[in-house]
Amino acid sequence: MQLRPALTERDINRDLLRPVLATPIWFYFLLGGLAIGVCTAIGGFAWAVNHGTGVYGINRPVMWGFLLVNFVFWVGISHAGVMLSAILRLSNAEWRRPATRAAEVLTIFALGTAALHPVFHTGRPWRIYWSMPPGYDFGRGIWPDVRSPFVWDPTAISTYLTGTTLFVILLLIPDLAVLRDRSSGLMQKVYGFLSMGWKGNTRQWKLQIIAGFLLSALILPVFVSVHSIVSWDFAVQIAVEGWHATIFAPYFVIGAVHSGVAGVISVLALLRWMFRWENYIRDDHFDALARLMIVVATAWFYFLVIEFFLGIYPAEEPEISLRTLQVFEWPFNATFIVFLLMGYFVPVPLWLFRRVRQNVALMFWTTLMVNIGMWLERFIIIIPSLMRKQPLTFSWGSYNPSPIELILVAGSFCLVFLGVLTFSKFFPIIPLADAKEGVALETHVRVGKVMVPAAYREE
Amino acid sequence: MAVERKWGMAVDADKCTGCQACVVACQSENNIPVNEPDHFLQRRAIQWIRIERYWEGEFPDVRARFVPMLCQHCENAPCESVCPVFATYHNNEGLNVQVYNRCIGTRFCANNDPWNVRFFNFWEPVWPETLRNQLNTDVSVRSRGIMEKCTFCIQRIRRTTRDAGLEGREVTDGDVVPACVQACPTNALVFGDLNDHDSQVAHLREDGRQYRILDHLGTEPSVYYMAKIDPYAAEGEHA
Amino acid sequence: MALTRRQLLKYSGLGFLGAVVFAGCRIPEQEFIAESPVMIPEDLVRGDDAYYATLARPSTGVESVLVRVMQGRAKKIEGNPDYPMSRGKHSAQAEATLQELYHPDRIATPLRRVGERGSGEFESVSWSEALDELARRLEDHRGVPDAVAIVTEPLRGALGTIVDRFAENYGARRYSFEAVDQTVVRTVFNRIYGQERLPTFDIQNAHYVLSFGADFLSHWHAPLHYNWHYGEFRGETGGRGKLVQIEPRFSLTAANADKWVYINPGTEGILALAIAKAILDSGEGVEDAALAAFINNNAQDAATVADLTGVKADVIETLAHDFAANQPGVAIGGGLAAAQTNGLFNMTAVYALNALVGNVGKKGGVTFNPPAPVPNVVSSASANSLTDFQRLADDIRHGAVTAVLVHGVDPAHGTPGSMQFGRALRENAEFVASFSNFMDETTLQADLVLPDMASLESWGSDVPDPGPGYEAVALQQPVVMPFVEGRAFGDVLLALVEELGGSMTRQMPWDTMEAANRSLAQEIWIKNRGSVRSFDSFEEFWVAILQRGGWWDTNATGGAPQAPDVSQDPGSAFPSFTGAAGDYPFHLLPFPSHSMGDGSDAHLPWLQATPDPITTAVWSTWVEVNPRDAESMDVREGDVVNVESPQGSIEAQVYVNPATAPGTVSVPMGQGHSSFGRYAEGGDRNLMAVLDAVSAETTGAFAWGATRVRLAKTGRRERVRKFEGMVVAQTLPHRPVYVISTGNGNGGAH
Ligand SMILES: Nc1nc2c(c(=O)[nH]1)N[C@H]1C(S)=C(S)[C@@H](COP(=O)(O)OP(=O)(O)OC[C@H]3O[C@@H](n4cnc5c(=O)[nH]c(N)nc54)[C@H](O)[C@@H]3O)O[C@H]1N2
Ligand code: SF4
Ligand code: SF4
Ligand code: SF4
Ligand code: SF4
Ligand code: SF4
Repeated sequence: MQLRPALTERDINRDLLRPVLATPIWFYFLLGGLAIGVCTAIGGFAWAVNHGTGVYGINRPVMWGFLLVNFVFWVGISHAGVMLSAILRLSNAEWRRPATRAAEVLTIFALGTAALHPVFHTGRPWRIYWSMPPGYDFGRGIWPDVRSPFVWDPTAISTYLTGTTLFVILLLIPDLAVLRDRSSGLMQKVYGFLSMGWKGNTRQWKLQIIAGFLLSALILPVFVSVHSIVSWDFAVQIAVEGWHATIFAPYFVIGAVHSGVAGVISVLALLRWMFRWENYIRDDHFDALARLMIVVATAWFYFLVIEFFLGIYPAEEPEISLRTLQVFEWPFNATFIVFLLMGYFVPVPLWLFRRVRQNVALMFWTTLMVNIGMWLERFIIIIPSLMRKQPLTFSWGSYNPSPIELILVAGSFCLVFLGVLTFSKFFPIIPLADAKEGVALETHVRVGKVMVPAAYREE
Repeated sequence: MAVERKWGMAVDADKCTGCQACVVACQSENNIPVNEPDHFLQRRAIQWIRIERYWEGEFPDVRARFVPMLCQHCENAPCESVCPVFATYHNNEGLNVQVYNRCIGTRFCANNDPWNVRFFNFWEPVWPETLRNQLNTDVSVRSRGIMEKCTFCIQRIRRTTRDAGLEGREVTDGDVVPACVQACPTNALVFGDLNDHDSQVAHLREDGRQYRILDHLGTEPSVYYMAKIDPYAAEGEHA
Repeated sequence: MALTRRQLLKYSGLGFLGAVVFAGCRIPEQEFIAESPVMIPEDLVRGDDAYYATLARPSTGVESVLVRVMQGRAKKIEGNPDYPMSRGKHSAQAEATLQELYHPDRIATPLRRVGERGSGEFESVSWSEALDELARRLEDHRGVPDAVAIVTEPLRGALGTIVDRFAENYGARRYSFEAVDQTVVRTVFNRIYGQERLPTFDIQNAHYVLSFGADFLSHWHAPLHYNWHYGEFRGETGGRGKLVQIEPRFSLTAANADKWVYINPGTEGILALAIAKAILDSGEGVEDAALAAFINNNAQDAATVADLTGVKADVIETLAHDFAANQPGVAIGGGLAAAQTNGLFNMTAVYALNALVGNVGKKGGVTFNPPAPVPNVVSSASANSLTDFQRLADDIRHGAVTAVLVHGVDPAHGTPGSMQFGRALRENAEFVASFSNFMDETTLQADLVLPDMASLESWGSDVPDPGPGYEAVALQQPVVMPFVEGRAFGDVLLALVEELGGSMTRQMPWDTMEAANRSLAQEIWIKNRGSVRSFDSFEEFWVAILQRGGWWDTNATGGAPQAPDVSQDPGSAFPSFTGAAGDYPFHLLPFPSHSMGDGSDAHLPWLQATPDPITTAVWSTWVEVNPRDAESMDVREGDVVNVESPQGSIEAQVYVNPATAPGTVSVPMGQGHSSFGRYAEGGDRNLMAVLDAVSAETTGAFAWGATRVRLAKTGRRERVRKFEGMVVAQTLPHRPVYVISTGNGNGGAH
């Protein structure tokens, strides 16, 4: 609990709609820079389509490379949205208010970007629709094999993407109405259309709240399933000892939450700096999120250790050799150390201190660290395991990413940020209605000599 | 046809000399593009059958063991269940079939193939115009972006079956000879119908030296190996 | 009928349900079978094919094959199941001759040089022009005796006869070239057993094979045939035999041996005699006073032998006992053991060993091959020795030889660099004609190129050497139309006979190779015995013999051997090496590339891309180094080093081979073509630049195992092009890839 100024509805509208209604010039430069990154990646993909999958660094037996690492990473990031919105909404955590929409938007763009990776990665991307629910080519007798996780993946991801998008739209409606009322010309028409006749009457509010709760409850199992399924892409593979583990589903889900929440924190810190939203994204929000992170990170770390020990427990040479490669051999030894430090051992002890938790800069850097660590985690899971497949040492191989893969990975980051920023240009990325609701439910209590704002819980 | 066929192979590791005749025979029969130097550096060379060489010991007690390696045509093939589009599936003759036109190139199957015998076409295969004259018209040339692997020379199975049908006779043991088996000068490779109890390969399956590679995975490979005999191997050193 | 909204919903709901139920009742199996318009490739079979028997002529020796032909194109080469040397099998090399036929760099028309010699500038000319010029040039040179040299591969069959007679009548010198020649073994068999032709070692029926350096599973004598023998030796015929390979290099045969015994290079004869002496002393040998005297006179005492050879005395004792006790057995010598300055001594000792255990001319031992059934056909063609070629090069330089006709070989690439064979042609020869299909290094020096036809396009015949132990003749017929404007070498010579006229015409009364081969067949037909017989008309016989790919008579075996004659001086027992041990610490153990041999198959991409069985390396020249030597020199796999001898040096990539003996290095032959088509060219890593042109005593054979080298680091590293992965492949104890059975118990030892 900290001191903060009392905010009127007018203040809230002015502050939170600032990026939408009065966009600063640097914002366009930022968008332009990101767009160049995205275009480079499109060029990279075009090159790959033109020349063949050979432009990537993959080989036999390392048939999956950086693109799959990055795919898992972005699916992981996408877990923050529902984690924060749904769980916190259902449990009615007060501090969720400024974070939810940023988290959901991050979900949408991260998930959309993740979904592009299989397209980049397949040998004949123009045929990838054969594995996707909307694209099954029954006319040619192309039936999907429902046993393949590659069929589950698009199903789960498209469900999750649809659910999250509905969720965002639903919660956006009241804010869109505000924008409709404050804009003019074409934009007014657009916002008017999007706000679907929102008048803010009791029935509408009631429906919106109920729908919000329902969607939260419905999306939660999807959220668990998505990364479980992504983990099954790996765990079903009996040929790859490093992947074939029953613990993979919860391990991946919790890892996803770990990187996802960290991603949201980074984004919130950025937004707060960019739009000077100190009054909305407050230090106590970071404090609360960091506490959550400690729990999530530690749970994840538990799974990491268990996964590792279950792996080496039977003491089979291929597995031992794989673990040796992961931990002791260049360049994975360095990667492994960096991953452990960044993913857990540096940030978590730091978060134990309130001063760190409430320091936005430190929170930004520590959460960024977590995501670098988590990217490396996926790398360490995916690549070395393929290098040491089975005891057929004759084929044990190695992998170097190609420039095109690096461009595509970098481009994916540009794409996600471009998406989030573009969204914040057209829609309030902190929910106005939620913020106002927070204020409305707020009361002031006397602490010593000062009146301090405090929130009531709804009954 | 009363009993369904189940094609299989027996590989006698004691006979294989590593001569590579099978390798080139397969390249020729199955329109496998020439593996250029870069393909080896990129670790993308394609050889549906290869001779794996394992080292044992140090000079002077050193040994090189040759293991011919090709698709094992697993009865429970792990490569099949992960393919989203049925581009690889099991047919009713026990073959793990690859349908090139269906494949979208996820490489999922290659990861889940414990033997690393699935080969991806990273590049469009190219032959100089003149060398194309040699291409086998029974076998399609694979384009880039798709998976391929040993088919047990399915075109020869088809041709033999078709010809036998036209001549009104049964296909008997020894009628179908894949290119590698045909070439193998030491007769280390034997091919036939495992469901035909009189076939040579069915007999070899009962041999005391018989074992299967990675048998513990439970994929039920259709390729049976005969142990290498080494009278000088230290007693008890090998299982 | 109007439909209300409610009805519409109801009916479509029912319809949907029905569809689901209906779909559910169908056998789902139907859906899973990928029967669909996109199924095509897995069973794509169309067209009719034809199979023709003919010969393939790769560097590993002539093979009788069946060629699958569809729509006028040769599609596949397969072994001839009838022919005794093939037995339905074929080698990788034979398979790859398809690529010779359709090679993109095949010479398509006759060429006349327009630029400097060696510049590679030629113009295309018509066949009549080319033949006229050739005839004119040959007329010009005819006056001077021995001024023309005809250099070919060792030729047998009708073509051999034609070339020999042509040379004789014209007055030309006749040379046969083999980069890795068999001169020493031939000399020894001639001396001891009076045999003109190479023997066949009956490995199939042997219980014990003691091989001194003969890499018969890879590139020695008749590898396809011996691989087949080996397969039988390992099982089917009467129990599993034992193979012991005695060799300084871990060759493919050593890798397949039950025991590999490392021996110091060049001391094989000393060891063989020590074994012989032990057998003699134990009284297990045949009683033959001359043989015993030879052994007693030449054998060293046990301690000296162990010291010289590096093989321990108890091992020698065991080898001697095992060899004597496990008869029938056979001792084979060749390869590196013969390619030493004392090669003659080594081979004499090894082959005397066979006489000592009495397995000569016996089943499971050394069997001899009768000459061809037809008297006038060449049935054995030994290559000329290195000394002969050194003299030829000198004669070209001095002007004694002014014109050179070359067919089927590339001595400019395949002779030691110091001989400067190519340079002699370029600078000193007046006229060089090549009958090659490819612009190899020798053809590059030619004034006139008259491209030959591939074996699948032309007529021919062969008497296998070594043979199956009985009379055999193989026939070659064109199975496809010529792919380029080539003309068979034999046909060109026969056309010249017409032009040059005289006594030649009488000696070679055939217009074409086809006629020559028909007349050969006619002589066989008259015999009316063997595998193809009882035909009333020759035409029927001709079709039958072409269909079967040849003729053989299992009853017409080689004659009884003469008593072994070991009276001739085998020369020094001790090898000598070029390069002082101090400066050049390593014995260089060269070997013909498993797939490309001495390099004459280097232009075929399939063979370039075929992994070496031991290292799995492809498309390169590498140097195999022992791990400890590598460590002490601080080199790793892929380091580019200079392999330096007193003669010269080449670059090669290090391959650390756990089976390479310390103090030795091995380098494959065959690469480093400056000209030989797109797949062979590039790089100058021809081992011949390093090898000293040293000839063996007495035989004059090329002692290619007699050079010492040192390795000098260049500081560069190139990844080795190889098929194996990134770690040293070893089986892991708990999950073995291969299983070893000791052969007793375990059910399967046959
Ligand atoms: N798009 C399209 N596809 C079709 C059809 C169509 O109408 N349109 N029709 C279908 C039908 S009915 C048929 S029959 C097939 C025909 O299909 P193809 O067999 O492909 O027939 P073409 O393309 O006419 O000729 C094949 C090649 O033969 C070459 N050629 C010409 N003369 C000779 C010769 O003397 N010797 C050799 N070796 N080559 C020669 C030509 O240059 C050409 O490259 O196509 C089928 N596919
Ligand atoms: S060996 Fe590999 S590719 Fe072949 S069926 Fe088994 S899993 Fe599939
Ligand atoms: S690469 Fe092709 S065959 Fe393999 S799983 Fe993907 S679509 Fe199926
Ligand atoms: S069975 Fe046919 S496809 Fe398979 S390895 Fe042998 S030759 Fe190649
Ligand atoms: S052809 Fe036969 S002997 Fe030669 S490598 Fe292949 S399996 Fe082994
Ligand atoms: S196979 Fe022929 S008909 Fe079929 S799509 Fe191709 S061109 Fe058209």
